[in-house]
Amino acid sequence: MDSALIPKGVKRCPLPQFGAALMIVSAVLLWGVFAMLLVWFKGLNQTNMNNAYGFALWIWADLGVIALGGGAFFTGFLKYIVGKDELKNIINFAVLIGFICYSSALLILAIDIGQPLRGWFIFWHANVHSMLTEVAFCLSCYFGVLCIEYLPLVLENRQIDKVPFFHNLSHNMHEVMAVFAATGAFLSFFHQGSLGGVAGVMFGRPFGFREHILIWPYSFFLFTWSAAACGPCFTIFATKLTEKIAGKKLVKDNVIELLAKISGWMLFTYIIAKIIDTIYWANVTAPAMGFTLMDFYISSPGSFYGIWILILEVGVCGLVPALILITDKGRKTPALLWTAIILASIGVLLNRWVMVLQVLAVPVLTFETWNMYFPSWQEIATTILPIAYGIILVMISYRYMPIFPQEAELNPIEEPETAVTQDTEAGEEAKQAQEAELAPAKG
Amino acid sequence: MKIDRRSFLALTIGGAAGTALTPLPWKLTDDSSIWSQNWPWTPVPAKGENSYAYTSCTLCPGGCGLMVRMVGDRAVKIEGLEGHPINDGGICILGLSGLQLLYGATRVKTPLKRIGKRGEGRWEKISWDEALANVTAKLGQLRDANQSHTVACILGSKHGTTSTLFKRFMTAYGSPNVMTTPSVQDTLEMTLQVMHGVEAEAGFDIENSDYILSFGSGLIEGWGSPVRMFRANSAWRENGVKVVQVEPRLSSTAAKSDQWIPINPGTEAALAMGIAHILIKESLFDNDFIENHTEGFAGWKKMVLDEYTPEKVAAITGVGKTAIVRVAREFAGADKPLALCGRGCGDTPGSLAEAMAVHTVNALVGSINREGGVIAVPMTAYAAWPDMTMDSMAQSGMVKSRVDGAGSDKFPMAASLLNRFAGGVIAADAYPVNALLVSGANPVYATPDAQAFKKAVEKIPFVVSFSSYMDETSMNADFILPNHVYLERLEDVPVTAGLQKPMIGMVQPVVYPLHDTRHAGDVVIELARSMGGSVGDAFPWDNYEACLEAVLGEKWDALSEEGIWQDENFQPAEWGEAFETASGKFEFMNSAMGLMPSYVPLSLEGNASTFPLLLIPFDSMRLASRFISDPPFVIKTVEDTVLKGKEMCVEINPATAKSLGLANGKSAVLSTPKGGARVKIYHYDGIMPGVIAVPRGLGHTADDKYMAGKGANFNALIGPVEDRASGLDTAWGIRAKLAKA
Amino acid sequence: MKEAQGHNKTKKFGMVIDLDKCTGCGACMVACMAENNVSFREDESDKQLSTAWMRVYKMTNGKPFPDADVCYIPRPCMHCEGHGGHSPCVSVCPATATDYDNNTGIVSQIYTRCFGCRYCLAACPYHARVFNWWDPVWPADMEKMLNPDVSVRMRGVVEKCSFCYHRYQRAMEKAHYEERHEIEEDEYQTSCTQACPAGAITFGDLNNPDHTVNQLVKPDNRHGGRPKNPQAFRLLERLGTNPKVYYLSSREWVIRAGDNYVKNENH
Repeated sequence: MDSALIPKGVKRCPLPQFGAALMIVSAVLLWGVFAMLLVWFKGLNQTNMNNAYGFALWIWADLGVIALGGGAFFTGFLKYIVGKDELKNIINFAVLIGFICYSSALLILAIDIGQPLRGWFIFWHANVHSMLTEVAFCLSCYFGVLCIEYLPLVLENRQIDKVPFFHNLSHNMHEVMAVFAATGAFLSFFHQGSLGGVAGVMFGRPFGFREHILIWPYSFFLFTWSAAACGPCFTIFATKLTEKIAGKKLVKDNVIELLAKISGWMLFTYIIAKIIDTIYWANVTAPAMGFTLMDFYISSPGSFYGIWILILEVGVCGLVPALILITDKGRKTPALLWTAIILASIGVLLNRWVMVLQVLAVPVLTFETWNMYFPSWQEIATTILPIAYGIILVMISYRYMPIFPQEAELNPIEEPETAVTQDTEAGEEAKQAQEAELAPAKG
Repeated sequence: MKIDRRSFLALTIGGAAGTALTPLPWKLTDDSSIWSQNWPWTPVPAKGENSYAYTSCTLCPGGCGLMVRMVGDRAVKIEGLEGHPINDGGICILGLSGLQLLYGATRVKTPLKRIGKRGEGRWEKISWDEALANVTAKLGQLRDANQSHTVACILGSKHGTTSTLFKRFMTAYGSPNVMTTPSVQDTLEMTLQVMHGVEAEAGFDIENSDYILSFGSGLIEGWGSPVRMFRANSAWRENGVKVVQVEPRLSSTAAKSDQWIPINPGTEAALAMGIAHILIKESLFDNDFIENHTEGFAGWKKMVLDEYTPEKVAAITGVGKTAIVRVAREFAGADKPLALCGRGCGDTPGSLAEAMAVHTVNALVGSINREGGVIAVPMTAYAAWPDMTMDSMAQSGMVKSRVDGAGSDKFPMAASLLNRFAGGVIAADAYPVNALLVSGANPVYATPDAQAFKKAVEKIPFVVSFSSYMDETSMNADFILPNHVYLERLEDVPVTAGLQKPMIGMVQPVVYPLHDTRHAGDVVIELARSMGGSVGDAFPWDNYEACLEAVLGEKWDALSEEGIWQDENFQPAEWGEAFETASGKFEFMNSAMGLMPSYVPLSLEGNASTFPLLLIPFDSMRLASRFISDPPFVIKTVEDTVLKGKEMCVEINPATAKSLGLANGKSAVLSTPKGGARVKIYHYDGIMPGVIAVPRGLGHTADDKYMAGKGANFNALIGPVEDRASGLDTAWGIRAKLAKA
Repeated sequence: MKEAQGHNKTKKFGMVIDLDKCTGCGACMVACMAENNVSFREDESDKQLSTAWMRVYKMTNGKPFPDADVCYIPRPCMHCEGHGGHSPCVSVCPATATDYDNNTGIVSQIYTRCFGCRYCLAACPYHARVFNWWDPVWPADMEKMLNPDVSVRMRGVVEKCSFCYHRYQRAMEKAHYEERHEIEEDEYQTSCTQACPAGAITFGDLNNPDHTVNQLVKPDNRHGGRPKNPQAFRLLERLGTNPKVYYLSSREWVIRAGDNYVKNENH
């Protein structure tokens, strides 16, 4: 029924089936929207945050989703600036993931602040010393860049593309996309880093505080590095998940393996830097503030903030996936690849959790105790909201836009005619379009 | 129309630039900014002319002076009055929150008549005329039936004109049954009666002492005049005064002291006697005082030397022998040592023998009527009341025996035994109680064995509360005739909280009455006048203010202008003139009445095997436990180791808790022979093993949502234990048990 | 010459709290609430949700009975100077809703500009900042007792102790009308200082050698304001927050409990 909107050369499931799936995900979305409205109208008492936990699930979700969306900027950087041309086959999807991640982050921020209607004060009354100011400006600009990067995809929808103006617009945008990719990479370097800076500058919180290079704490660089390393892993994960659900291959192995290899080396070098940073922090920075490493972890077995969390983050979810991804065998073995990209994604999420929530859990005054936190259902629902929204956007984008350039090649449709006999009128149109397209190629 | 790229861009950019040049986006921005900063439900308090009004605080017997900051006619802040002799600008947490009582939700705004059953909380608003008519009718009815003595009256204070008006009314009306809220001052007064032979209050010259030995007194927990005590404590710190605190628990007082001596609960008198033993044995006593101004030393000394040896005292108290000897020597070696008693904030009268024991410790070192010591401050009548004629009804009523047994052969010294009232009402031996008037007190909440008191009130068919608040007593009344809150009242308040000189404070209104309330003094005068006859004649004033001015005489001017009157010339009597006993000297004991300083162990209710723990209360500045309960500001400050959610915490030594399997923070059930409550366990290293403690002041069932339903009422967990000699309540604790919830 | 200079220097308003005198009575908490229109709710036993500018904590020495000891420690906002005016909270606020005033040393808070991101809450190690999770409600007639000198806050914004800045403004206005440029030590005192019945709190200009606070602790401005008095200490001195609230104690364990030490380190 909607085959006119579907990109040519590819098959999509019947509209009712698509519609049903959309309904299910929309129900989850609506649950999230309900929670969001509760928070906006009743206030932040709908959460389990308190004066010890000013930052909680939402801030973690923000940081996490921005780190996972790092695939967009890094893949763009690799393709347009470094010149890894094969990545053009995954860049669209990376941009889509990035777009979803960043729009989710902005949405969550709008829910998280106490006075959402005053959110724009961050631009109007900006404080140049604050890491969050940098984040806000950079994030907003980068979201603009992502919109610009995503727009051509939308314009390439079969029907929209028929309008010459839009066709020319998307063509011209592709020409200058390198500029935007460079801008995006530049902006991302800063806001990914500034998010790390959020925790790193807090000299009142020994667990989060890191020493500085000029104005930037080490965590600034580690965050950008880990986003560059793990973002692509998430992009690969999302691609492979989409492939599984769509039931077809969408990106050639060499593209995946290239991205995985670069990501693996980024991750490996990042882990080394992280380990060095941890050693320095544990032996120099923290003791100067009166803390040993073990003061930051709860010693009773079974505690959430036991030392296991550090080992999990750096070892199991850092070193292990790095070692897998830097080997050819690791990249080529599906089970290993899946393991690595999942562990790496979890690793970066765990790192963000630790750098936000554990910072606040650790007692600093000697007469304080550990603070514990568990999110309320409203917080959980509003965090799942962007996931649902993301799934919907991927579903719609995948169905109606040529996200994967290699899809047609990887999934040739055997009988071109049979594919268009369902609806005669549309079929005629499609046939004409096909012929029209074949014509210039011949010529 | 063909839209090409150029014209599209031109249109867009032109449109955006054009809009930006109009005021529209900037206005919208500014509007949304203002709108999101001024939500209509956020109050903006009105400005007005600033001024200060002056008055005194009545929320505890401390007598602090207040200055109240006014904005226009609104009172916005209570502050301590600078230069006031008691508090000099300081003020306690309760005093600071007084405006919440004035403006709060517990206010009774008009006279109320009960509809429905007692305790249901259903009331009909009535006019003052109707209210007074009802009460007059009932009282008249009882009087006509020769039942005037069956009317009882409970007052918060025994001093001051308002209380005196109530007492005068009861006398003219014909009932002896006036009771007042008890405290350790009652026992101390009796001590001075027995040992000095004078009617005096116990004053303490703490500011000039250089060694304080406190037997469980909560010196910074509300004992005496709290702010005065805080100021003294700070001066002690500055001047190197040594403070020794003897009590089973690490209270704030114990923590601040120079030495905390943990002691088995209830055995403080034994330690006092043990110290007396050393003072006598080592001849550390003041020779002049003992030889020339005391009677009965020889006989008493023998008893002390025999029965209170360090070994025996150590066994009773759990305090080491060396410590006992050391403290005794230090005490004697100080220039101006002073021993104090009255557990916690001093609300429980305590044992007369114990008060006498502590008093002898002071006597032995000569700290009587001397700088830094105990001062007997005579109760001079500062108000001149006109004589009144009692008619035959009044006369016959007044000679009837009291329901509480005070003044009887059994308890000849006592003037009021509120702890025996409930028993008297329930037994109704001589006669039933047919009416009860309550002013300035909340006995349904604050009397130990609260259940028994409630049962007694249920038996009384006519109950009138004069409270300004819907407290537990008001909830169980038939009529509420609400008094003005102290900030709306004129009143004299003599300070009886252990000061060294007589002092009277003046309460003056800072705001016009907010609601349809009336001064209780005015109401008593009106009730009397409407009863007519000799009752009415005894009240020849038009209203309370006229009465106050008349009876205060020359002090009225000083009090109105200064807000305070002090007897500047007061000097404690010299030893030669201080004692008016039969012998004319300080008497160590009264053998005829069987009174002597000693340790009398309390017979604790309950079986030690069923109830293996000892439950004691603790007082805290943050938990008001008398007539006034915590306003919202104050209950907000209560720590989460005292109150968690709706459950109060019980302090228990970690070792004891472990042996009972009670983990920290978990719920448990606390039971005593008198009652039970659900509590939370709090492991506290500052309490002796085997002893547990809960705070007083929680467990309100009336009041507003900020206070009601939180914790349990300690008075419902304990019952009074009569002192054999005085009849007053001596219970310092009760047996208890804790079980997992 | 030096003395005259000393009096014209910029001010650094600070507080000294004598923990030997502090009884833990809580008057400072309520004085602050009454003066500054601080809200209250039905259940305040969860202290992490309780709005309190001044909060009295209880420290223990961790020893078992009978060697247990406790000490109460009132904690207002520390008005940290940090490094050159970069308090932990001021540097992180994205909307400049909080600022360090170099003339008085006071860290301000603009409720109408704060949009509630709570970064300052996370940055403050003293938990001096609280967030309005609910809209404040004043029951019965209690709106009448609100102080018109202090803005009433709405939900969704952060608030904290201001060293009763409105009283500073009043004192300066009074001085201006009387054609003076300086205010006396007793003309500007915070509500908690005024109320404390034990006289445990002292407030004044740490830069002024005539003021009691300076004399009590002798702050060393060349070393980040460290007190020269060995019985004085500041909480978390080692973090470099350079706070303005000093504590006095004659008890060694109390002084040590003011900061974190790696085992066997001396303070």
